[in-house]
Amino acid sequence: MRPRFAAAVALTTTAAIALTGCTKKNETDSGVTGDAGSKTYKVAFVPKLQGVPYFEAMNAGGKEAAKALGNVEWLYQGPTQADAAAQADIVRSYIQQKVDALIVAPNDPDSMAPLLQQAKDAGIHVATADTDAPNSVREVFVNQATAQGIGEGLTDALLKEMGGKGKYAIVSCGQTAENLNAWIKVQQEYTKSKYPDAQIVDVVYAGEDQAKATQMATDLMNAHPDLTGLVGECTSSAPGVAQAVKDAGKIGKVFTVGLGTPQSMKPYLRDKSSSAAILWDVENLGYLTAWAGAQIAQGKTIEATNNVSGELPAVTYDASSKMLLLGPALAITDQNVDQFDY
Amino acid sequence: MTAVAQARIRKRVLPSPVTGQEVVLAGVIAALWAALAVGTPAFLTAGSVQPLLVATAPVALVGVGMTIVIITGGIDVSVGGAIMVCSVLTAKALVGADVGLGAAVLLSVAAGGVLGLVNGVLIAYGRVHAIIITFGTANLFMFLGLRIFGSGTVNGIPGTLAFFGRGPDGRTLGIPHAFLITLLITAAAWWWLRHTAGGRHFFAIGGDAQAARLAGVRVQRRVLLAYVLTGLLVGLASCFVIAQGTSTLDQSVGSGKELAVIAAVVIGGTSIMGGRGSVLGTLLGALLVQTVVSGVTQLGWRSQLSDLFVGIFIIVAVGADLLRARARRNR
Repeated sequence: MRPRFAAAVALTTTAAIALTGCTKKNETDSGVTGDAGSKTYKVAFVPKLQGVPYFEAMNAGGKEAAKALGNVEWLYQGPTQADAAAQADIVRSYIQQKVDALIVAPNDPDSMAPLLQQAKDAGIHVATADTDAPNSVREVFVNQATAQGIGEGLTDALLKEMGGKGKYAIVSCGQTAENLNAWIKVQQEYTKSKYPDAQIVDVVYAGEDQAKATQMATDLMNAHPDLTGLVGECTSSAPGVAQAVKDAGKIGKVFTVGLGTPQSMKPYLRDKSSSAAILWDVENLGYLTAWAGAQIAQGKTIEATNNVSGELPAVTYDASSKMLLLGPALAITDQNVDQFDY
Repeated sequence: MTAVAQARIRKRVLPSPVTGQEVVLAGVIAALWAALAVGTPAFLTAGSVQPLLVATAPVALVGVGMTIVIITGGIDVSVGGAIMVCSVLTAKALVGADVGLGAAVLLSVAAGGVLGLVNGVLIAYGRVHAIIITFGTANLFMFLGLRIFGSGTVNGIPGTLAFFGRGPDGRTLGIPHAFLITLLITAAAWWWLRHTAGGRHFFAIGGDAQAARLAGVRVQRRVLLAYVLTGLLVGLASCFVIAQGTSTLDQSVGSGKELAVIAAVVIGGTSIMGGRGSVLGTLLGALLVQTVVSGVTQLGWRSQLSDLFVGIFIIVAVGADLLRARARRNR
């Protein structure tokens, strides 16, 4: 038994080392071009999850901003699963590296707050992007769109197809995802006030599982034969609800909208099983994140209106909530889906 | 020996064709379906039952392999990672090389077989407990899968695999192909495990590997075979997974599937200690879990309630198994 146990331990440790070795691999994409004399500021961004198109598009925008600004080195690394503990490890490693600005899209805002305090104590400027940690010491939150903007955008896009009335249901993802829940709340209130003849019959949670989202949408259509609308609240359920409508042969009878990335929604926008995807320009969000990081790293104050780039000429900043706002939500339809390559 | 005497011996040696757990499960499923038919009128319509059977198929199919593995006293917690590797490989082939249905299935099954072989060789000849090996390979497979994904999802998957899907192309005479295939494979495995010497060997190994070896069972080869079979079934199930998903495949594919499969096996009455079990029970277990998930959604109950119910089923099933084992010991 002894040698077998030893072999087992050896094997698991090797596997563990091999694995952490792989996941810890640093993806440092630096866009250092500045003059030799001037200081280069290290701006690090920790996404919720690495390797998904959404955050990769943010990374692309961040790199572009670093190139344009000249004095910024853009660092990007996230966990391979949307896990708060794995994300915390990466944040700690950036604190050790003493980056100049540290920006996080927290998986768990509450547990991220003390870490941001630690970073601040180490002299690092901290910020959040994509998802806020409201009760933290972050100096700025780079917000893609307000909950109001997204919730109303989704509701208007769907109710336009449904003719302003009828029953619809929402397929959400993580049950505790703060941003999704905030949007759903807006959808519920806005539907009640603006579309009194419309009704949300159910909100279900499928996790990040596409097949489960599709199956739940199918179940919802069966449970409510008079359902005429479905909302996919996140990037895995947005194509999921459209696929369910397509499989059930109900295109044109049940309409769907969702928060999906353009490339994943393209086939569904084309065959009309999805009417619109509500999103924002993710690359621009990454660009703005890097820009904000550079501002706070240099100790500059952010104005009420900022000319960030050619595409972002007037980004508003709300000093009381310390929030930079990318702009209104963007409706991606059959018409404009080809403009986005992520 | 006369045929009659042979039949009598067989009757004495073989366990009854259907276990008590299976009868109970079938009863619970029938009762649930009846209750749901009353509670939500659309439940027993074709539009509801067909997708439910399609959603059951991948878990039940991998469950056939997992049942055999668990009967030998092992376990395979790497099937989630293996599904990820097989489905991303196949999805990329569908998008990039535009392969046909047959080639896609072959590719996926072959990939699954290779992954199963890795597990099987390490477990059968490395003599380390299966949970440690497959826990290691689970992570390796996931790493491999993520590397194949690169930094993005696989977009624009064509409808080549719609034959296994939820849509009208996935059915013949109203019966979903994915479920029919699963049913046939389950039936074949049931016959094999029950009526052939090779099949009975798995039970012997799970009961007492040493005794089985002394009785002339080639234990290592049998164990290897169990994991390779699981791998092959994972390959086929991955095709079902792609067909049931959307035209985009993301990194979450396969995640947590090992637990869903083991839950179906345990609820189906297979002893987690090895030596006893049935693939029929696993199919019923998978069907019960999916019935609960769909039922909760259709009734408009809170989504997390399905987790609660599945948890209760697992505990009740394991409890029943322990009680049976105790009763046997006291006999």
